[in-house]
Amino acid sequence: MKELLTLFTRRRILIGAGGAVALTAAGFEARHLLHKRYAPSPYDDLLKLLDDRDADAQIGEAVLAEIDDFDPKAVANDLRARLSRHSLAELVASNAAEGQLVEAGGWVLPETLGLLCALAAKAAA
Amino acid sequence: MSAFIDARNVPAGTVLTPDLVIVGGGPVGISLALTLASTPLRIVLLESGGMTFDAKTQALYDGSKVGAPYLSLEATRLRYLGGSSNHWGGWSRPLDALDFEERTWLPHSGWPFGRKEIERYFARAHTLCEAGPLLYDRLDKLALPVGPMLPLGEGGMITRWFQFSKMRNSQLPTHFGDRYAEDLKRLPRLSVYLHANATRLGLDATGKKINQVDVATLSGRKFSIKPKAVVLGTGAIEIARLMLASNDVNPAGVGNDHDMVGRFFADHPIPRDTATLVLFNGQLASYYTQSQTIHGVLVRAGLFPSEAFRRARAVMGSSITIENKTELDDLGKAAVATTAAALGVNADDAATYSLGCGMEMTPDPDRRITLSDERDALGMPKSKLHMRIADSDFARFRETLKELGRQLLASRTGMLRLNLKTRSEWLEGMDWGNHHMGTARMHVDPRKGVVDANSQVHGIANLFVAGSAVYPNYGAANPTVNLVALTLRLADHLKGVLR
Repeated sequence: MKELLTLFTRRRILIGAGGAVALTAAGFEARHLLHKRYAPSPYDDLLKLLDDRDADAQIGEAVLAEIDDFDPKAVANDLRARLSRHSLAELVASNAAEGQLVEAGGWVLPETLGLLCALAAKAAA
Repeated sequence: MSAFIDARNVPAGTVLTPDLVIVGGGPVGISLALTLASTPLRIVLLESGGMTFDAKTQALYDGSKVGAPYLSLEATRLRYLGGSSNHWGGWSRPLDALDFEERTWLPHSGWPFGRKEIERYFARAHTLCEAGPLLYDRLDKLALPVGPMLPLGEGGMITRWFQFSKMRNSQLPTHFGDRYAEDLKRLPRLSVYLHANATRLGLDATGKKINQVDVATLSGRKFSIKPKAVVLGTGAIEIARLMLASNDVNPAGVGNDHDMVGRFFADHPIPRDTATLVLFNGQLASYYTQSQTIHGVLVRAGLFPSEAFRRARAVMGSSITIENKTELDDLGKAAVATTAAALGVNADDAATYSLGCGMEMTPDPDRRITLSDERDALGMPKSKLHMRIADSDFARFRETLKELGRQLLASRTGMLRLNLKTRSEWLEGMDWGNHHMGTARMHVDPRKGVVDANSQVHGIANLFVAGSAVYPNYGAANPTVNLVALTLRLADHLKGVLR
């Protein structure tokens, strides 16, 4: 009887574990399927700082409309240099304090944030 | 008590001989008459209209305009007792000290005196305008019962306060005609003539003194006044018209030896929906969006460039008001979400508002009133406005708005969208303050101004101009309280010279 109970418990554990693995795999697959995938870009290391690349690309298009000679490589390198020394939050706060601003469809944005969005737009193009 | 006199019943050819004639029964004329009542001066006050609006009288304001879009000259002012206070919104605020200063970056800037010269008149001006005790920016230091001021942090934009005229405990602004008619009737040495239009300022043979003012009514009656002194207290457009049209002795008109009469006209541009304000936490004290009584005074808060910012950035005066709640488009929603996330603030409860404003114009000698070839029902040449507005005025105000946007970000309070950029966008939603200024500007040099520091017309001993026509620079403050204060200063001067 005791052995039967042990076997039953083991079976339940195995079934439960198998179920958990299956659910985890399904969840992983669902996330994998639902998460929008973007073509690789030279700026992915920077764009991972943004939460919503589609929305940010929309902002970026508006930023680009205000800048005549946007050089994405140079901007990306400059941002990498800045972000190696400070967090995005620190840079954004510093931009606002010092008046380093860009416009996006009239929205007044901290320069670092606006340029990141512009790179998102370039990556999406 | 004496009733007002209907000029249409004055016998033709009558000659009145008061000490002083005041042309215009608006806030200037009424304030001046009330203030001089304590003197022995015998005063005649001429008002073109009656006690209420009359279309035929109003049509005397008809005129033409060329250049930049502007209001109809007939619609932008009112011609009956109380004048344009009859459509006043009651907004009050003294000019800033900076408004009086000469600025190297601003051509034609500077008054002949500083603000201190008229400060002592503001209390009495407030009494006449029924705008309550002078609190304004002292409210910053008093307890505010309905929430704190916007946290804008360090920067060029600050919260400042408007006060409002409140007639007889109602919420209405003071209409000077209604409010003071009975007081005027009680003054023993004052005669108020209604329906009486000054049609000519008659210079004597020397051209240095006014010896006659011609008066006409729409009914055809004509009479004249031979006063010791004359004060022109109508609006700025009408002052220029009367001075220019009085050209029988001097072909250039009265006081116009240097071609300055009519020049430097200005108003306050009020472009609508200039910007969109987002407050991340959605919190906004109600005194920003509507007038309300605080510490016994009807007030409303606005956002203004500090004088330090105006000096440092070479921008004109302006005022920004927070208006209606509004909705964001997709780009706006994205901008708010991304910016709030980057700043590390929660924008789940964000609120969005449209912003209104009042702008100061750059002084421009070519924005002017001249006479047209058309004549009104009294035979006087009509006014012609040459309207101009500089792109730099829009650019400077946009800089001011951008500073507000910067401060909102830096203080993590919110963010701003600048809604207008091109000239056509600025002009498309343009309204105006109906604040007519300039045309008889004050300057110590007769080549640069029409009146001297005492409001006396250069070269004419007994002719004075009162009101916002004398403003050499305009500021962003609503003019009524200021022009009444200037009038009270002129009253003190007249008490001395007409003794």
